Amino acid sequence: MFPDQASTFAWHVDALYFYLILVSVVFSIPIVAAIVFFGLRYREKEKYATPEEMHGSIMLETTWSIIPFIVSMTIFLGGAIVYYNQFRMPDDGMDVYVVGKQWMWKIQHATGQREINELHVPVGRRVKLTMTTEDVLHDFFVPAFRTKMDVVPGRYTYLWFEATKPGKYHLFCAEYCGLNHSGMGGYIYVMEQRDFDNWLSGNVSGQTPVEQGKDLFENKLGCASCHAGGPQQRGAKLEGIYGHEVKLVGGQTVLADDAYIRESILNPSAQIVEGFQPIMPTFKGQVTEEQLVSLVAYIKSLSGITATTTGGGTGSTAANSAASGNTIDSANTMAPRKAERGRTGQEGSNPNTPGTGTEPTNSNR
Amino acid sequence: MQNVDALDAAYNDRPTKNYLNNGYTLKSWLLTKDHKRIAIMYLVSVSVFFLMGGLYAATIRLELLTPASDLLESGTYNKVFTQHGILMIFFFLIPSIPAVLGNFLLPIMIGAKDLALPRINLLSLYLYWVGGALTLWALTQGGVDTGWTFYTPYSTSFSNTFVMAVGLGIFINGFSSILTGLNFIVTVHTMRAPGMTWFRLPLFVWAQYATSLIMVLGTPVVAITILLVAIERVARVGIFDPSIGGDPILFQHLFWFYSHPAVYIMVLPGMGVVSELISNFSRKKIFGYEFIAFSSIAIAVFGFLVWGHHMFVSGQSIYAGLVFSFLTMVVAIPSAIKMFNWSATLYKGSISFDTPMLYGLGFMGLFLIGGLTGLFLGSMGLVVHLTDTYFVVAHFHYVMVGGQVIAYLGGIHYWWPKITGKMYSEFWGKVSAMLIFVGFNLTFFPQFILGYLGMPRRYASYPAEMQVLNIFSTAGASVLGIGLLMPVIYLAHSLFYGKNAGPNPWMLPGLEWRTASPPPTENFETTPVVTWEAYEFGEESGLDLEGARRRESVTTV
Amino acid sequence: MATHAETLDHEHYHPPGLQHQFEDMKQQEESVSIGMWLFLAQEIMFFGGLFTVYLVFRSRFPMAFAAGSNHLDAFWGGLNTLVLIVSSLTMALTVYYAQKGNRNMQVILIVLTMFFGAVFLGVKAIEYTDKYNSGLVPVTGLNKRAVGGEAHASTNFVLPFETRASATAAEGGHGDAPYVNPKGDFVWTDTSLISNALKEQAADPEGSYLTTAERYGYFSNGNIDANKFRDKVRIFFWIYFVMTGLHALHMVVGLGLMAWLGWKAWLGTYGPDYYMPVEMSGLYWHFVDIVWIFLFPLLYLLGRHFIHA
Repeated sequence: MFPDQASTFAWHVDALYFYLILVSVVFSIPIVAAIVFFGLRYREKEKYATPEEMHGSIMLETTWSIIPFIVSMTIFLGGAIVYYNQFRMPDDGMDVYVVGKQWMWKIQHATGQREINELHVPVGRRVKLTMTTEDVLHDFFVPAFRTKMDVVPGRYTYLWFEATKPGKYHLFCAEYCGLNHSGMGGYIYVMEQRDFDNWLSGNVSGQTPVEQGKDLFENKLGCASCHAGGPQQRGAKLEGIYGHEVKLVGGQTVLADDAYIRESILNPSAQIVEGFQPIMPTFKGQVTEEQLVSLVAYIKSLSGITATTTGGGTGSTAANSAASGNTIDSANTMAPRKAERGRTGQEGSNPNTPGTGTEPTNSNR
Repeated sequence: MQNVDALDAAYNDRPTKNYLNNGYTLKSWLLTKDHKRIAIMYLVSVSVFFLMGGLYAATIRLELLTPASDLLESGTYNKVFTQHGILMIFFFLIPSIPAVLGNFLLPIMIGAKDLALPRINLLSLYLYWVGGALTLWALTQGGVDTGWTFYTPYSTSFSNTFVMAVGLGIFINGFSSILTGLNFIVTVHTMRAPGMTWFRLPLFVWAQYATSLIMVLGTPVVAITILLVAIERVARVGIFDPSIGGDPILFQHLFWFYSHPAVYIMVLPGMGVVSELISNFSRKKIFGYEFIAFSSIAIAVFGFLVWGHHMFVSGQSIYAGLVFSFLTMVVAIPSAIKMFNWSATLYKGSISFDTPMLYGLGFMGLFLIGGLTGLFLGSMGLVVHLTDTYFVVAHFHYVMVGGQVIAYLGGIHYWWPKITGKMYSEFWGKVSAMLIFVGFNLTFFPQFILGYLGMPRRYASYPAEMQVLNIFSTAGASVLGIGLLMPVIYLAHSLFYGKNAGPNPWMLPGLEWRTASPPPTENFETTPVVTWEAYEFGEESGLDLEGARRRESVTTV
Repeated sequence: MATHAETLDHEHYHPPGLQHQFEDMKQQEESVSIGMWLFLAQEIMFFGGLFTVYLVFRSRFPMAFAAGSNHLDAFWGGLNTLVLIVSSLTMALTVYYAQKGNRNMQVILIVLTMFFGAVFLGVKAIEYTDKYNSGLVPVTGLNKRAVGGEAHASTNFVLPFETRASATAAEGGHGDAPYVNPKGDFVWTDTSLISNALKEQAADPEGSYLTTAERYGYFSNGNIDANKFRDKVRIFFWIYFVMTGLHALHMVVGLGLMAWLGWKAWLGTYGPDYYMPVEMSGLYWHFVDIVWIFLFPLLYLLGRHFIHA
């Protein structure tokens, strides 16, 4: 019946809610009682009876105007106090920046760590969100914290909270924003300070690449919202495509290999599968090479291929990790792949020349 | 004695000349100036829109049976809830009681031959049809998916649907609303029969008057707002586009400046009907007549001051929010006053539980919950959590459906004998009233809980843990749907097989009961002269109660 | 409040124009009068939305509004104001003569009123054409296209005399750049107002010469951004066109109303017994006039105050 109480003001809001339920019950009783008791007691005994005349009563009218007014003022005051506390921004909050866009939340910590549709925060710290949107109105809503705020294009809006209980809590978009409004959500992860520090420095739990890829696909990057939506999804079907020919808009076919998958994530508009629209956003700058490897592994697993290809090679992204708190400690390589047809000189992509087996470079962050 | 018997036997006979048989051609209906015929045409039209809006509602509830968006694509679902809102609000709720019951009854209740401006009334109907036709055409072409609130910049710059066409349909329909309101205000001022002073007017008339003030003053603002959105879409330049310095929040202010008072258009007429039902079926003068009358005006006036309570989390300043929250509390008081006065009217009355009374009492219970939950949403600390969730959806359905629709049905049943001259099956009336009450609560009460849990509105898919409550809600909706379809059947049946109602089946004092059922085109054989107070059930009313009892005893023999 | 104690008597004298739902002319007159006033009240609310929009954006971007306003020709605006005031006079006289039953004077004055109304619309046409020629219509594609640097003055529609816009163009006020507009965009290059304000601000650090919205609305990376300023001026012109356009539409409706009224007056319909339609049309006409009385200073006189202060 109630969401978790996970922030410092959650219980204020719940208390106000209970007070209002109490007021409602107290006011409903006389009215419901009147309907029931008067209805029974004074039901018609004789057809077309004429009951005694009753004139109004100024005293009654005054009483039942003044008392509700006083009660409503208490509701107003209670609400105003809770609201004022909730929206006076603290000076010492941990800053987090949020950008909403159709249909995902892009979040960045002050230390540079980026997240998509997820927000990791430590327990017991004030967190202040500075938010805006790239396109239409959205709303950042966390029921467990009892707070929300619209994000408006062209300006910043603010929200703060202090989480009190570690856990995983829903994040919803609560302002209608178009096609995938229902899917534009994720989770807030509240962690103990130590776990949070660990997370910030990039030590994630040991998952296999396929598991990590699945996590990225379904949760962190929001791929599932278009690629696992059922028969009428907006994104091309990925099950069973690995190793097979894929037909593109314009008639060409291409082999769906590791390179194809990687390109489709970094430069999706270059190759559109026939029958689909060019609406996939690029994830260039949002996925690390390590994450690309996991995604490729996962997508391969959707075609029944579970062996992952990892190899030696130095991570060329070490230079980039300085820009964020995330370190890439494992190698990233691609299996030798066939030449890509019909595409040359793609900026930032990895043009393959057959046989060179060049290391991919992740020059963006 | 024989004369009396003959008169008694003929008492309930259908009058030979009435407004329904005064001309059978299509032209006599489509070019009519008779407010009663116009009301009938509105009745048919709003019922069609209600059916369509109801089908959309059924689709929504079916989709929400499961957590995933599996029945409809998200894009289609977005169109479905948008169109449910638009059809129900603009083409059913806002016209319903004013255009159907108000048009039919207002002139009769004040003793007039017609409204003051009958040709304007006909123009209102035409505008309603044109606006409705344009909107329906747009729906067949692909519809609109912006939500009925058309928030910018989604509606101006992002939506690929028929925003302009639907917007123009609503724009045209708005003028239908304005002209109806204008007509009512003029009529109440200048067309009252001799002796019908302001404070002898039925409270239904006071409620219509207050509603008309809102219709005339508020609707133009949404008209210009929709026009600005349409121009912005077409011209690709405007004032809501932030990339050129425009302001999306400005849209919200302009939109809600009308749309909040609009919700009072969607409840005040219902309250007027309820005042009639409670008083007449308790056979007792309404308690606190002046207070109820003035509370309607107060709601209309204060209703223009609280639009910001739809924008608490829009990025509006805290201080503006505080002012709006305070005023929202203030506007709740007149409604509370009405509830208490209605309850007091029941005290020491002579209450009969005919179908209309069941609807009247149902309104009291449901509006009670709806109105109180409005306080939840007016309290700033709480509304931040609750806004844009199913709590709001539940609240407004309680007041709009549990309020106005219930009152509308109550009014239809109450005045059916007057409008058609026939009585419907009281048994089926009671059954469907109860089905509607139960179905309604089962549909919408779980949504309060869902809202507090955090289920946002306008969602096609939701977290799995919220499914059980959604299933209850859909189950309730099926009961509600059946309950709402039943009146269509038994009321239609009564047109052919119902008993003749006679001029005053319940022996009530209102002016509308002093003329034949159905009334003649000119409403009264001779202009009435009013010498009794409103809701006068005693001797002053001039009602022939003895005769009525005599006729009762004859028929029961 | 009307009290009409007679019962329906179909034999008694029916004044011309009395409609069947009314007992007598007094009731009819009262009804149409209240009806027309209510209609005007809702028209005020209709235009009120636009005035609100004007208010919001003027208080945010006063300089852009001043700049745009300066490019409206107060001569034409003033002339239109005069024309409308005179037309209201002729309209009021029409009502007077209708009450007197003087058919000829009614018709003459209605024709005069229509004449002035037409003059008003003609002047608006001149003004709108001027905007078209200067690239001041806020919708892309609706401005005169000119490749390769023509002078501002149009070759399509040459006015027999200078307007303020063409005058400032001649003296190089609208930027010294020649009019180049291949796509029919909205063009605005003159940011001198901002530079002046910045200079004044530098000379007087305590004073406030730019609003908060202007402080970031006209600048990019600390420099004046001509495109952003242009966008705000464009908002001014958008409001100008919508407000005056809607007003002109009401004027056209007014002319139609006058035509119908003139026809009926010619037939001798109106006299001391029955003149309400004339009076009600008069109310409408006066209303359209009053809206213009508000529009004129807000749109046309803004710039002069600001710039020449």
